[in-house]
Amino acid sequence: MSDPRYSAAVCRRVLELPGSAPLPADAVVAAGAAGDVEHGARVELRFQVAEGRILRGQFRAFGCPHVIAAASWVTDRLRGKDRDALATWDWREAADALEVPPAKFGRLLTVQDAVRDAARNWPVTPGSTV
Amino acid sequence: MTIVYLDNAASTPMDPRVIEAMLECCGPGGDFANPSATGHEPGRRARARVEQARAEVAHLVGAAPEQVVWTSGATEADNLALFGAARFHRAKGRHIVTSRTEHPAVLDSCRQLEREGFEVTYLKPGPDGIVQPSQVEEALRSDTIIVSLMHVQNEIGVVHDVGTIGRICRARGVLFHVDAAQGAGKLPIDVGRDCIDLLAVTAHKVHGPKGVGALCVRREPRLGLVPLLFGGGQERGLRSGTLPTHQIAAMGRTFAIAAEEMSLDAGRISGLRDWLWRALSAVPGVLLNGHPTQRVAGILSVTIDGVEGETLLHALGDLAVSSGSACATTHAEPSYVLRALGRSDRLAQSTLRLSLGRFTTREEVELAARRITTEVTRLRSIAPAAAPMPAA
Repeated sequence: MSDPRYSAAVCRRVLELPGSAPLPADAVVAAGAAGDVEHGARVELRFQVAEGRILRGQFRAFGCPHVIAAASWVTDRLRGKDRDALATWDWREAADALEVPPAKFGRLLTVQDAVRDAARNWPVTPGSTV
Repeated sequence: MTIVYLDNAASTPMDPRVIEAMLECCGPGGDFANPSATGHEPGRRARARVEQARAEVAHLVGAAPEQVVWTSGATEADNLALFGAARFHRAKGRHIVTSRTEHPAVLDSCRQLEREGFEVTYLKPGPDGIVQPSQVEEALRSDTIIVSLMHVQNEIGVVHDVGTIGRICRARGVLFHVDAAQGAGKLPIDVGRDCIDLLAVTAHKVHGPKGVGALCVRREPRLGLVPLLFGGGQERGLRSGTLPTHQIAAMGRTFAIAAEEMSLDAGRISGLRDWLWRALSAVPGVLLNGHPTQRVAGILSVTIDGVEGETLLHALGDLAVSSGSACATTHAEPSYVLRALGRSDRLAQSTLRLSLGRFTTREEVELAARRITTEVTRLRSIAPAAAPMPAA
């Protein structure tokens, strides 16, 4: 019997942890982090950037299944996006996609904060005006 | 998916021998009648079943049969003990002593008694989870009327020295109530030897049915109790309501089996628990909760640093384990028991209670150890570390 507290998408991501594999050692990276393990949720994100867009992402997370699934989900969702997309990304998108219950919405703010922190840490490349 | 059941502290499967006894009191031709209807043969047979069970329950805890009052479970027994005794003896005093790590059946009753004008001292256990007899003695006052302390702590499994505490209370003329929901049938307890005035027991923690329990009430000298339920005057007026013959007969059989097999069960189950602890303690960052040796056989509480409790429990979907007391798991707050022991909120949330029973096998315990080790390793692999994330 499946656990009704978690959607199938959450269950799959917690089981398979897609997006947790390390990025290449020489990747140009935008990294962001938010939260605190002591307070029950921390998310660390790294996005490999090429030509101003995200090539792939990697997450690390401590938290409930919804936090882990959302951190995993953004590594897929933000592929191909630019810095502006990260800077304005909203947690509600993950809440809808993963069918996160309202009681857990607050936890997704940690994911949003980590994404926007990565936007602030967007790599400066030669010739870029960013 | 096959589920390995390691939540026997929440409830146990009924022993087939108990089911048999229960079924004998259910259908046509069985001893199903109302045991108060002793004007006919079926009623007298049902009454005989009830009285046999009463003797079996009394025997296990060193009581006389007439001391046993049937209830719907340990929660009701605890309520009857605390409200019944406090309200009856309120003219003598209004002070009650208990501990911070009691079951909500006791804590919530004490809070209600506070609203009724009683004063309650909540003793803090040591880091090992145990309230020492000296703490109880120091808390007693001239107006103390009841001490309430559980025999076995339901989340971490530590065992209180109820004998010493009982003798302290008896010497001071204070009533001693023991919630033995987790201890009865698993550890020896004797209301006479241990000077226990009120003992709450239940069937379903020791392979009996849910919905039935008992309160053993001291008779010599007689202890006054105000009933909670009024109606037919059953149980000498202490607990009105038609007696559920099938549940009571099953509880009697449950306790009779426990009396015969307690030491055998305890030896086997503690061997499995020790094996499980050795396996889990090989994983870095796994901590034992509660006293290492003063504990019941079937309960192992471990805190696992570096993983979040809800996620671990979700990942261990093929294990039926608890993150704490079953009665508390509807709340998101960390366990008040583990916090009382000094665990931080985060560590308290990263805790598993693994509880074994009569039907737990070595294979199940080995599987549980493998699964927990695997999931802890997997979830830690994605947990943020103090150091930056490594590249490939």
